[in-house]
Amino acid sequence: MRLNKLMKGAASATMIAGLAATFGATLAQAQDSGSDKKYKIYLAMSYSGNSWQSEAANIVKALAKTPPYDKQVELTEVISGTDPQAQISAYESMIQAGADGVISFPISATALNRTIKRGCDQGVKFFMYDATVTEPCAYNVSFITAGFGENTAQALVNELGGKGKIFLSRGVPGNSVDKRHTDGAMHIFDQYPGISVAAEYYSYWDDRTTQQETAKALAAHPDVDGIWAQAGEYGAVQALLDKGGKLVPITGENSDGFRLALADPKMQDMGLKGVSSGSPPASAGYAFKIMMEVLTGKRDLEPMNIQYPLPWVPAADVKLCEGDTFENGCNVFPSEKVPSSFVTEVFNPTLLPELTLTSALDGNPTPGATIQPLPEEITKAPDSPGINCQRCEAPENQYELTKVKATVQP
Amino acid sequence: MNQTTGNDGSATDTFAHVEDRRASSGIDRDLVNIVAVFALSAVLILCSRFVSPALGSWNQVLTILTLSSFLIVLSFGQGLVILVGGLDLSTPSLVVIGGVLATVYGSDGNAFYVLPIALCVCALIGLVNGAGVVILGIPPFIMTLASSIFVASAALGLTGGTPRGNSPEILAFLMKERWLGIPVVVYFVVLFAIVGWIVQSRTTLGRRLYAIGVNREAARIAGIDVGLTEAIPYAISAACAGFVGMMLVGYSDGATLRMGDSYLLPGIAAVVIGGSSILGGSGSFVGTVGGAILLTTLGTVISAIGLDQGYRTIIEGSIILVALVLLREDLFSGLRLRNRKA
Amino acid sequence: MSYAASLATERTSRPTLRLKRMLSGGAAVVFVLYLAMYALYAWFEPSALSLYTFTNLMNNSAPLAIAAAGETMVVLARGFDLSVAGVISLTNVFMAIYPIEGPLGALASLAICMAIGAAVGAINGFLVAKLGLQTIAATLGTMIVCQGLSLVFLDAPGGYVAQWVSYELTDTLFGVLPISGLIVLAVALLWAGFSRTNTGLGIYAVGADEQAASLSGISVTATRFAAFVGAGILYGLAGFMLSAQTATGDPNAGESFLLLAFAAVALGGTSLSGGRGGILGSIFGAGVLMLLQKVLFAAGVSSFYTGMFQSVILVAAIVLGNLIGRTFSKGAVR
Repeated sequence: MRLNKLMKGAASATMIAGLAATFGATLAQAQDSGSDKKYKIYLAMSYSGNSWQSEAANIVKALAKTPPYDKQVELTEVISGTDPQAQISAYESMIQAGADGVISFPISATALNRTIKRGCDQGVKFFMYDATVTEPCAYNVSFITAGFGENTAQALVNELGGKGKIFLSRGVPGNSVDKRHTDGAMHIFDQYPGISVAAEYYSYWDDRTTQQETAKALAAHPDVDGIWAQAGEYGAVQALLDKGGKLVPITGENSDGFRLALADPKMQDMGLKGVSSGSPPASAGYAFKIMMEVLTGKRDLEPMNIQYPLPWVPAADVKLCEGDTFENGCNVFPSEKVPSSFVTEVFNPTLLPELTLTSALDGNPTPGATIQPLPEEITKAPDSPGINCQRCEAPENQYELTKVKATVQP
Repeated sequence: MNQTTGNDGSATDTFAHVEDRRASSGIDRDLVNIVAVFALSAVLILCSRFVSPALGSWNQVLTILTLSSFLIVLSFGQGLVILVGGLDLSTPSLVVIGGVLATVYGSDGNAFYVLPIALCVCALIGLVNGAGVVILGIPPFIMTLASSIFVASAALGLTGGTPRGNSPEILAFLMKERWLGIPVVVYFVVLFAIVGWIVQSRTTLGRRLYAIGVNREAARIAGIDVGLTEAIPYAISAACAGFVGMMLVGYSDGATLRMGDSYLLPGIAAVVIGGSSILGGSGSFVGTVGGAILLTTLGTVISAIGLDQGYRTIIEGSIILVALVLLREDLFSGLRLRNRKA
Repeated sequence: MSYAASLATERTSRPTLRLKRMLSGGAAVVFVLYLAMYALYAWFEPSALSLYTFTNLMNNSAPLAIAAAGETMVVLARGFDLSVAGVISLTNVFMAIYPIEGPLGALASLAICMAIGAAVGAINGFLVAKLGLQTIAATLGTMIVCQGLSLVFLDAPGGYVAQWVSYELTDTLFGVLPISGLIVLAVALLWAGFSRTNTGLGIYAVGADEQAASLSGISVTATRFAAFVGAGILYGLAGFMLSAQTATGDPNAGESFLLLAFAAVALGGTSLSGGRGGILGSIFGAGVLMLLQKVLFAAGVSSFYTGMFQSVILVAAIVLGNLIGRTFSKGAVR
């Protein structure tokens, strides 16, 4: 009995001592840095844990370590999970700590507004990548308004010749990005009476979930003719392969596995066609570089919504990269180099020539690279109510096709 | 004063309850419950024909069995933890660790030793959970939640966010191949269910776990090494979760750091719907298997309904509630309790 | 035989019992922990002592504190209530799509939020207390239904919460007292009163030993039912306070509260197997969880290390609480 008690005491003491030690060590570490004046930048992420999120964070970290930013920037990464309150709290802390800039993947388009406004009033620059906020004093850098939904939908309709049973593999229920994409897609599908949506399911932008949900839908509708998917699309390919039989046209986002499949002659023979488009993690790097140019006074830019160009790679344009970055028009990596869930559109030869695979995968700068200035021109994003502005009107032509033309008429 | 002895307050209650059941129609009622869960699943599959004519087919049954395999394996471990009156919230992170170890370190050639080692690592983490609960007296809820956060952070630090590597061949074989037109994993899951049932209901270890769940003090007096025995379910649960991670790797060729998230609540729900008491000391793994199949079937049928997600979610929740009412565990014992009171 | 009398014969005399319950229950421990963490925070970040920062912290912690307070009622009666996530989402969505302006509007909204919570709580109570379902399973069902309802009413984040609510409730009274903090205080005071009533005592009794409580004349069914309804009302209030802070609606707003609420309850020294603890501990438990993020940030802990620290501190707090509790209540517990 006494031995037991002694053991408990010892175990507790060790635990507390260990805690104190680690805490002290971190403090010492924290106090080491910060001697000469640098820009205090915070990278406020949502969660980290899928390829997309970590690639986006990694390239920001890599850019911050690339000369001359390595001497100018003190970057701190904060992960808030999926809880807007945690991110509100993190933003508050950053403002309090005297941040010069915050680059962030916002968890909510609206809940953070008041905190951001307070930060802006104290001179903090807020740059949002991929997801957006409706607070006008923040800069949004995103592809959301570039028409992913309607363009991929039209591409699918073209492949199907204007008729067939399709699945919609959506993102997260109750999410504004998912809604914008799906609204755009339905705008197209609704014009074609020959197209019927047989099943619509939520895949949480995840390969595994997409595969399982697609498998469930296939059990009910084995005769599907095409799949319109958001991120996680490679799971849809795998579900079709699991079922056996033919493949069907699939449009999806930018996973390496999906692009390789699109270009694989064996898969093509089985019936796989489609286009790879969608959310580019590169927008994080682009946002970071614009922010640095604004902070260092190289660019004079009022807060605005900036549109990142929509990636667009039909099966015929898929080209394997031999090196470690997009060059000579290549846009996919061999499967030995990256996992199938790797999001290829983390590179951009014009906007982000500094980056290579080591940047995207490990957050390391490319040896020998220096920061290149961005092109002068910046594309302004159209208004999209509830996404990048409040109480505003979407333009008439918000669903206008930019990447494909309708080859079949309704 | 802490969770280790937490069930003592209820012990007399639960104990009397179980004794009571053993004395009267106990085993029968367990059986009734299990049969009811499977019957409900079957009814659901048949009803799904109204939703889509392709449903209710042999292929759909195979799809359901394949998809429920993850939940069945996971909820075996969770069920054992619940059996001793605990709860394991670390399963999502262990799914991830199992998957990450298998992809990052595993390859076709070395899978035969990497996968077992990875499972041992998971079991070790589970043992830490058990030790925290048993030795330090930390409530299982907090201990496993904390270790879940810790392990998830470690996995993030370990991989930089993108776990590299592909599925070892053996896992792809387990999840993708078919024998005689039936997926290999279906054979596996049937075998797993039988072994799991034997472990839980027909071995000394299983009987001891029941004894601890019913009344810890009585188990101690009866000479069971309660501390050690109580820690074992946590290790098993962690290993099961780790193995689910490997199955997921085989299923979709690669790991991500969030692939365990969607298994936490269903893993617990399968156990409870299968007729086990969340307070421990009762239930059977066969019931849990039924619970897992029922939940998966429900998901399959719901996703085929052509309604907005909101309405589908409402229907899903309502069906779970209706199922619970139909499978009510206290349907009979409640009456008995009232009689005794009177 | 009255409940109180039966309780008195059942256990030791009440005042000593309450004192022991408080010390061994951990409310005091978690309160000290909160103070210590705040001191640490202020040491790293001197502006932490400013009213502005304090108000922000209160605003940020209030929803979780109230939700955890609600969860405590169910846990005390030996149960788990997952519907906390669903009710918060549902009330948040309601606040965003039907904003009612002005102070009276705020009062009306508050009443409706609490009514929504009470209704869900009543359903839970019926399923658990009357039909005898297991709490965790029944409330999982109602949580899913509530999530579905939230999605039906609002299919993407949006809407605007009434300005009066979002500005006044996150402000300070007389320029010094954060209103959100006062509301949490009000919850704590109401509980202090309620826990002395027969129903309040009954919740403890049912959680500690259902059979004994039933034998001593307490209606287990009514008590359980009351605990769920009370919890639901508090979840409604939590959703209301969350809406004041975020000023917008999100059909998934409540999801992150699920595990945090339980963590706050356990951290606050309430036994997850029922019968021991109290709301005050949970409120400080929630405070600790929210403060932890601040302290770690101020200390310069970033990235994935945050998770590791959070988990270690969570465990250390419980272990410490156990040790202190054991020292104070040697031989007193059972």
